[in-house]
Amino acid sequence: MARVSLKDVNKIYRSRHDEVHAVNDLNLTVNDGEFVALLGPSGCGKTSTLRMIVGLEEISSGQIHFDDVLVNDLDSQARNVAMAFETYALYPNFTIEENLAFPLEVRGLSAPERKKKAREIAEILRIDDILDQRPGSLSGGQQQRVSLGRALIRDPAVFILDEVMSHIDAHLKFQMLFDLKAIHQELKKTMIYVTHDQVEALALADRVAVMSNAELRQFGTRNDLYHTPASVFVADFIGEPPTNFFEAELFTDQKGTALHVADSDLVIQIDQQHAQRIARWNESRLTVGIRPQSLHLNGDRNLPALEAEVAINEYLGERSILTLTSGACRFRAVVDADTAAARGERVRVHYAPEDVMVFSGQTELIIL
Amino acid sequence: MARLEIEGLCKGWDFPVIDRLDLTVEEGEFFVVVGPSGIGKTTLLRLVAGLERPDAGTIRVGERDITALPPYRRKVAMTFESYALYPHLSVFENIASPLRARGMAKAKIEETVIGVAKLLRIEQLLNRRPGEISGGQKQRTALGRTLVAEPDVFLLDEPISHLDAKIRHELRLQFHTLEELRSVATLYVTHDYAEALSLGDRIGVMGNGGLLQVGTAREIFQQPQHLFVAQHLGQPSINVVEASLSRADGSLQFTAEAGSLALPVAGPHSETLAAHKAGRITVGIRPQHVQVAKAGAETNGAAVVEAKVEIFEALGATGILMAESGGVKLMALTPPDAEFQHGEPVKLALRNEAFLYFDADSGRNVMIG
Amino acid sequence: MSRSNYGLVKYLFLAFMGLWLLITLFPFYWQIITALKSAAETNRTIPTFWPEVLHPENFVAVFAEASNFNALVDSFIIATGNTLASLFLGTLAGYAFARFPRQAGGENMAFWVLSNRMFPPVAVVLPMFFLFDATPWGTDSHITLIILYLVFNMPLATWLMMVFFRDAPRELEEAAYLDGYTPLRAFFKVTLPLVLPGMISVAMLCWIFAWNEYLFANLLVGTNVRTFTIVIPTFTHGSQTLWNLQMAFSLIAMLPPVILFILLRRYMVRGLSLGVVKG
Repeated sequence: MARVSLKDVNKIYRSRHDEVHAVNDLNLTVNDGEFVALLGPSGCGKTSTLRMIVGLEEISSGQIHFDDVLVNDLDSQARNVAMAFETYALYPNFTIEENLAFPLEVRGLSAPERKKKAREIAEILRIDDILDQRPGSLSGGQQQRVSLGRALIRDPAVFILDEVMSHIDAHLKFQMLFDLKAIHQELKKTMIYVTHDQVEALALADRVAVMSNAELRQFGTRNDLYHTPASVFVADFIGEPPTNFFEAELFTDQKGTALHVADSDLVIQIDQQHAQRIARWNESRLTVGIRPQSLHLNGDRNLPALEAEVAINEYLGERSILTLTSGACRFRAVVDADTAAARGERVRVHYAPEDVMVFSGQTELIIL
Repeated sequence: MARLEIEGLCKGWDFPVIDRLDLTVEEGEFFVVVGPSGIGKTTLLRLVAGLERPDAGTIRVGERDITALPPYRRKVAMTFESYALYPHLSVFENIASPLRARGMAKAKIEETVIGVAKLLRIEQLLNRRPGEISGGQKQRTALGRTLVAEPDVFLLDEPISHLDAKIRHELRLQFHTLEELRSVATLYVTHDYAEALSLGDRIGVMGNGGLLQVGTAREIFQQPQHLFVAQHLGQPSINVVEASLSRADGSLQFTAEAGSLALPVAGPHSETLAAHKAGRITVGIRPQHVQVAKAGAETNGAAVVEAKVEIFEALGATGILMAESGGVKLMALTPPDAEFQHGEPVKLALRNEAFLYFDADSGRNVMIG
Repeated sequence: MSRSNYGLVKYLFLAFMGLWLLITLFPFYWQIITALKSAAETNRTIPTFWPEVLHPENFVAVFAEASNFNALVDSFIIATGNTLASLFLGTLAGYAFARFPRQAGGENMAFWVLSNRMFPPVAVVLPMFFLFDATPWGTDSHITLIILYLVFNMPLATWLMMVFFRDAPRELEEAAYLDGYTPLRAFFKVTLPLVLPGMISVAMLCWIFAWNEYLFANLLVGTNVRTFTIVIPTFTHGSQTLWNLQMAFSLIAMLPPVILFILLRRYMVRGLSLGVVKG
């Protein structure tokens, strides 16, 4: 087990014609036994980061430590990292037990020892009943577990999972997420999970590192990311359906200070103290974010509300999503599944002023 | 413009994939077929398109029997899961393709393509090649190609399942609002139940061989006729408890076969269940009908049980919790900001009037009969 | 591996590649200098590595006999004619094998076609001679070699085109059917453009084979039709071989394929690599 820390890490790919800065001054510490997710859209640098941690890629500059050992020049064997891939890469002609024991055979463990270890790991992963079968006869979920088992059996210091769920059917995914979380609770290994899917990242990780354009945008718990996103990018990337954004400007009259949304007659109320803080930024254009889950139909009447017309009412079983329009503005609200609001109906959705997120219009960084 | 009628359709290779399937999609109806991957949804579309020949059955569009017609004479347009855009042609030429096939005049083609491109907001991409545009833009191009064809029937094969969640939301809106799609018979295939519930005027749930249930979104979600249907809709999926029925203090209850969990049957269900001959029953409990409360908190309701938290996942907007009670593992949805620890004792309040009961052998919903 | 080791390996590799280049380019160099030497200089016991006097007029001298230029034209007609025929038949057959394997006779049939390329050509020279002698145009005509070279080029074209067609997604054709194109129109609109790079590289291979062929040309034609390959050995003076003229003429004969290759190189590389990956 180990703590992994990255200090001012850069990755630059040079070809004859151009230079790609894939990872830019990354600072990140994953504590011993922690489950951290690296989250970002494709091309954000998360895979390069992971490959540098594993030792598959040279570090252009900066330092990577495992506990107090500088691993920059160690190869992946010496780092003792294990990695599970997107594809399962099982040996089709071996039984599951042989697949699991293979990394130990390479290391020269005795046969009874290998058998014992393979059974131990199979029990944890709940695949002990299929040890005699071959990969071809297993379901995708089972194959994935065998693949995890083969990586874990070496007892690595750091365990890395690269997009391991992207080929799993949606309705099996939750079970897999639960399983993976249970495995982590049992093994308490340092795990780094790379994904582009925010649901996976939030569900699994103790902390999530959000990356885009080669840079770390925010590193925090799911509550940090959800309630106080550092920037428009993070607010947009985290949450489903995506956050509603409004272009707005600060406006003061005798009733106090509020945000007027451009190209519509919507007014968003905020706390007066907050309004003063925003005013100090002295920016004409602001980006305001409100999560669809923060807009409540039939909410507390004392709370401010947005009035808009229902464009679409999507019934999704457990909930419904209303798409609302006002002027040129379109936004969504997540409401109860039994909501009957029909197309064209005017509704009021209430929100708490503390759920309003305000970002600078220029830097797109959070003000509140 | 016409309705699509499928009657007694059969298709199989080594084993039957589609077995005597009947389906009518009305003119202007948006019909969604939902089912797990590999169940034959794409085969159904390919049969309607004429890319596969049925072993038996007829396919009619309005008065026309198209069963024996080749695809290019069916007036049916289809988008492929892979989009199937012509890589050597520009976006413009891709969209124009059905018009060129018809020999439409140049000026008219230009006008039509630009009109559709504007509608789909890809007018600035018309000169690019498919290799140079994003997945969402490819999807729009493929959609544009089917829209200009002005077919009698639209077939859409998993059009948005390979896109990011955000773009999926946006394209779902597009499918809701496109009049062109909403005015003819549309058959839409997906494995994503949320997409199906959101889009379908009616939805057919496909199991082995054919459609297990056809109905509106609310019908199939709230009153699934079959355990398979209930299991396929909803995330996390429905809790399934194998149980046996018994009487205690004069009222009906069921006890889980896997342990000691016993829950009362709600009044309205009792009569039907009492008449159910077999003592065994499969109970379906949707996660959102399981309310989680801290151990000390007040709870009311007929069915409250003590449980222990096994795993808790907070997803920001909501949380998912798996708890163990009397040997049975139950999933529950929790409100935002709730926090639970591994091993923490909790109370589960179950809304037993919303439970679903299925025959333990056949999987049929016993309440519907 | 440490950094200094890596550098050493790199230099060793470069040295090896340099040597390799030298070995492969030397015959070409020898050809060029020989073409520029006088006949006497080419026959010295101790060869010279650079001509004492340059004789560029050798390149004109080879055309002293006007029919020598006609040989290049004949070769061109035969190579081009055969390429077009091979491509036409190979494309159709390849498409059939790729899309309708069962109707076309299956994997075995496809392999049989390819296997035609594997027997030693010499074995059929005599039968071929008698066969073509019985045709109205006889053995000594363009059409003879155009047809004969199909024996070698068509299997190659069929096999490679089959691989390229298999590689072209069938769904694109299906999409074209649904757009309203008949199978034939869909083939020209969608499938053919997709395999065009492959077709061009197949055409190059066929053309170069037919252009360079010597054995059959030497035995079957020679009076009405003369290919350049059978003209080269005729540059002699009594019992003495005129190496300088032979080399000059062969250099000239190398020009068309080189030009063709440079013009079509872009497609050639794409087409060949496609075949390598998938074949």
